[in-house]
Amino acid sequence: MATTTTVSLPIPSSRRGLGWRGDRISRLLMRDRTLGYLFLFPAILVIVGLVAYPFASAIVMTFQEKTAGAPGRFIGLDNYRELFSSEQFLRAVVNTVAYTAIGVGLKFVLGLGMALVLNQERFCNNLFRSFLLVPWAIPTVMSALNWRWIFDDASGLINNVLVRLNLIEETISWLSDPHLAMLSVIVVVVWQGTPFFTMSFLAGLQAIPKELYEAAEIDGASVLQQFSYITLPRLRPIFISAVMLSAILTSAGIQFVLILTNGGPSDRTMIFPVLAYHLALGGAQRLGMGAAVSLVFFPILVVFIVFLTRRMLREKGGD
Amino acid sequence: MAMRVNTQRRVFQGVGNGALLLMVLWTAIPFYWMVATSLKHDKEIYGYEATLIPERPTLDNYATVFRETPYLLFLRNSLAVAAGSTLLSMIIAVLGAYAIARLNFPGRALLARGLVFTYLVPTSLLFIPMFAMMSVLRLTDSLHGLIIAYLGFDVPFCTWLLMGYFRSVPVELEEAARVDGCNRVSALVRIVLPMSLPALVVVTFFSFTHAWNEFLYAHVFTSTTSARTVTTGLVNFMSQDVFFWGPLMASTVMSALPPVLMFLVFQRWVVKGLTLGGVKG
Repeated sequence: MATTTTVSLPIPSSRRGLGWRGDRISRLLMRDRTLGYLFLFPAILVIVGLVAYPFASAIVMTFQEKTAGAPGRFIGLDNYRELFSSEQFLRAVVNTVAYTAIGVGLKFVLGLGMALVLNQERFCNNLFRSFLLVPWAIPTVMSALNWRWIFDDASGLINNVLVRLNLIEETISWLSDPHLAMLSVIVVVVWQGTPFFTMSFLAGLQAIPKELYEAAEIDGASVLQQFSYITLPRLRPIFISAVMLSAILTSAGIQFVLILTNGGPSDRTMIFPVLAYHLALGGAQRLGMGAAVSLVFFPILVVFIVFLTRRMLREKGGD
Repeated sequence: MAMRVNTQRRVFQGVGNGALLLMVLWTAIPFYWMVATSLKHDKEIYGYEATLIPERPTLDNYATVFRETPYLLFLRNSLAVAAGSTLLSMIIAVLGAYAIARLNFPGRALLARGLVFTYLVPTSLLFIPMFAMMSVLRLTDSLHGLIIAYLGFDVPFCTWLLMGYFRSVPVELEEAARVDGCNRVSALVRIVLPMSLPALVVVTFFSFTHAWNEFLYAHVFTSTTSARTVTTGLVNFMSQDVFFWGPLMASTVMSALPPVLMFLVFQRWVVKGLTLGGVKG
């Protein structure tokens, strides 16, 4: 998109001779450069103070032994060395990758399915659209608490129903069984995260010109052919953005694991933000170690972040 | 032979209707369980007499929440933090977005990129240094601290969103106003802002619900009851064990309601604003 060119207009001459007091100030303010920096100053302050500075200090912290409120002691690469030789950290890496890949994959498939279904015409479709998106609007913490109760060992909904139907003799510990815990957490992630994909894909579907399908139909293309030759290619840019954004937010999302399993049983659901949290704020307060965990993951995230930054600016007509 | 396209359509419509039913159930059942539990006596919640549908619905759990817990204080705190951070981020973002969208000065492309980049950096990469910083500044256990911390997310996002909208307001309108003697500031207030009302609604929705829903910072920066917001307050209830599922689900229902209602009211705008800038994925 073309950049906005600003025509600087001369101040009407009748005003110029009057010499009123605000004149000089207002003329100074008329200049784009002054006004631009003035307007952006608070935003820059926020970026620097609340993101750039903390991020830089996190890097410094990884080379320190540090607790909150006290100055750190420089220990070189010891934190990283300890991390890479720790089994817990390596497990967290594997878990994070699996958790993110499976979670995002399922959200993608279900989201695409939901979007296609909601894109069909039917009675009261708008109502269904609104309703299916509600899990997205619920605060994550509330969903997590709700699901923890649904999975409850003794009286949760799932065990309750399974026992009633005589499908199981003993209740299942969904969140503390080493083989089930990760799967259970992913179910919750998918439940709350699918609507985001649905919304994105639905918006994409509605942007595809109807004429394309009409033309394809005249040429005798089947519904499946229309899907794979028109729908899928047209949605590709949205696929990529949605997957990347979701990968960032899923892998870095701490709430579900923290509330549902707290990383357990025996680290089976330990993902990197939870590990960072435990190291930095659990008992020993090893801020340097915690920061190092997050930093190790940053290079992977930054690839997605840079790509999305470009795309988000392009979509908004940025320069 | 391939079926006629019309027949295929009908088949897919049928499959779609079936799938829709499953999706509605998948979405609805967790809600149902949350609300149903909040309306049950303990007897119907635990043990052999546990029910799937509350037989004698009661509001006792809700009464317990208000009588025996500091839930009202949490609500007040959440409201204060959400209102404060929304107002501040709105002002900062309007100014910043206008500058990037309309003013010509060196470095604005770089700043725009910086803003989006910042928005995409997840808080779980920042909470440790932020905690250290807040401790030094003595802003832990304080609502002010939370309001400030939330700006780090709200400002970049709101600025990015408003930037796009401001660009879509025709420049000619503003130029006409300036010929009539408006300066930049009054052109912004009188022309651009009124025309960007939908964007302002979306921005308000996002920063308000973000503050309302935020958990990590609130949890990490707060250690006393006085500054707890709803999210960290409820998680704290859970870890205290004395407080059980009936009242907990009652408070969960109440805490989930405001953002859900806001979403349903503003949905049309929110979905548009979200399609690329989703907050949760």
